[in-house]
This record gives sequence, structure tokens and C-alpha cells, in this order.
Amino acid sequence: MVRVTVDDGVTEVRLDDPATGNALSEAMVSAIGSAVTTSAAATDCRVVLLTGAGDTFSSGAPAALLAQLAQGERHPADIRLPRVLLDCPVPVIAAMAGHAVGGGFALGLAADLVCLARESRYGFTFMNMGFTPGMGTTALASHVLTPAVAHELLYSGELRRGDAFAGAGMNIVAARADVVPRARDLARRIAEKPRAALEALKRTLSLPRRQAFEQALTLESLMHQVTLGAPGAADTIRATYVE
Amino acid sequence: MTREDVLAVVVKHLASAVDGLDPATVDPMRSLKEYGANSLDIVEVVSGAMRELKVKVPRAELNKLTNIDGLVSLLHDTKSGAGVGA
Repeated sequence: MVRVTVDDGVTEVRLDDPATGNALSEAMVSAIGSAVTTSAAATDCRVVLLTGAGDTFSSGAPAALLAQLAQGERHPADIRLPRVLLDCPVPVIAAMAGHAVGGGFALGLAADLVCLARESRYGFTFMNMGFTPGMGTTALASHVLTPAVAHELLYSGELRRGDAFAGAGMNIVAARADVVPRARDLARRIAEKPRAALEALKRTLSLPRRQAFEQALTLESLMHQVTLGAPGAADTIRATYVE
Repeated sequence: MTREDVLAVVVKHLASAVDGLDPATVDPMRSLKEYGANSLDIVEVVSGAMRELKVKVPRAELNKLTNIDGLVSLLHDTKSGAGVGA
């Protein structure tokens, strides 16, 4: 599910289930959670680099999970994956060379530094499927993107090319092949700093995001009671889910 | 609305989705993929074309298509069948 490599203070956590577009299945969510938490606990880890194998960084929730949410078998508030990155004691860089959709994009936006590829696409498809965004997206999106851009993407469900994000709050927007190498350079530069200082700065800089995230989960779950509980929600999801 | 009109709409959305495409060179017998469109480019091309043409085609139907001509036929037939003003 994930592959972890360590190189001189930089821990790369690579989502490695390209057949599903690195979908956030239960197994993937728990693999990411334990990989990030365990790696960052090592005292010589100074930065975590999150990457994805294949064309897609992450396609977000798989269809089966969305069906369970619409049937009320699972609760969206249980999916708190972004917290793993927000709570990670050292900075996290998300190098999203491939597409990132829905919860997959939210995951990347929970990182401290965010890198996109010009020719890949990024967006939030929740509303295309008839329900309101989850996973803290309503807060995470506007902490990285400008609120205007975040709100537009959340309302419209547009899958926007990475090049259109240049100047919109991203750290790196580069050709697909250059994204991970450039993110790795950035990671190495950060990894030169002492762990204690990185921890202190991470805790401080991420505080507004962590607070906004917790608040968003509460509000999003109220919206989900209405939108996922609506009659026909499961049918709409099935008809509109993009494989 | 003729098939040519529908083709023009599809090609316009294709040209805005991929880099360096000359709309005049598009052969409808080829696929969107052959013109450099990745899977999510295709999602945006098709949804943009449907929005402009004011038609809705179920995703299951779209998944069966193999080339641009098939997409044009599907959109054109749906539009004619729906009786929406051309």
C-alpha cells in the first residue's frame, strides 16, 4: 500500500497502489497513518515527503466507501486522515505529481508545503456527486488556496489543471517529471535544520490549520446528515462517480 | 444542430484541455487519448461539452466510447432525442 524510504533526514512515504489510483480505502488510510506516524517518531526524521506512484497521487474515497457513507454504515467524520499530517511533528511536503481528487486532494492540502504538476488535474468532486465536502476539505482548501479559488473549486467540482494553480498559493508547480525531484530538493534543504526547531515551527505554523480542521469536521458532519441522508443519495453517487 | 456543430464543440473543449493542439488537425476517428488527453482531461472535456450542448449522458454510456466520433454521435443523438432547441 505504501513504501517508505529514508535518506538523510528525509522520509519519503510513497502511496503505492496505482491500480486504484491510490484510492483512500480503509487499508490505504491505515497504511498512510502508520507509515507517517512511525517514520516521524524516529528522532533522525526531519521532514516527511508524501508522493504517489502512477498517474494519480490519490483518487480519494473509493466507490464502495462512498456507498457505505450514503447507507449510513460509516460516518464521514470517522475519516480523519488529514489529521495524521497535521499532527505529524515534523513538516510534511506533499508532492502531488499525479492527479488528486476529492479526499485525495484534501490529503495533500493538509501537508505543510504543497507541490503540483502542470499537466495533472486537481479538484473536489463531492458536489458533483450530490453531497457536501468531507475530510475537513472546507477548511484545508482555503488555508492553501485563496478562499476565492477554494470556494470556486468546492462549488463547481471542476478538475483544474495544475498550471492554473501557479500563483494560487502552491509551493511548486512544475512539469510532472520535475515535481518529485524539486520537492526532494526542498525537503533536503529543510532537513538541514535541527529537529527540535522544525518541531517547534511546525507546531506553531500548523496551529490555525489544525483548529480550522477540527471545526470543519464538526460542521461538515452536520452538512452530511442532510446531504448524504437525502433520499436517492446513494443512487446519485453511483451514477456520477468517476472511476 | 448538426453533427459537425457537436464535433466543433468537442474539439473546442479538447483544445482547451491539452497543450499545443491544433483543432484543425483533429481526426474524429481517433480517441481523445491519442491527442494527449489523460483520464481527467477527458472528464472535463466531456462535462464541458455536455454543459455547452445542454445534454446529459449517463456515465455508463460514456465509458463504452472508443473514439471522438462515438462521443459526437452519442451527444448528437441525445440532443436530437431530447428535443431541446438546436
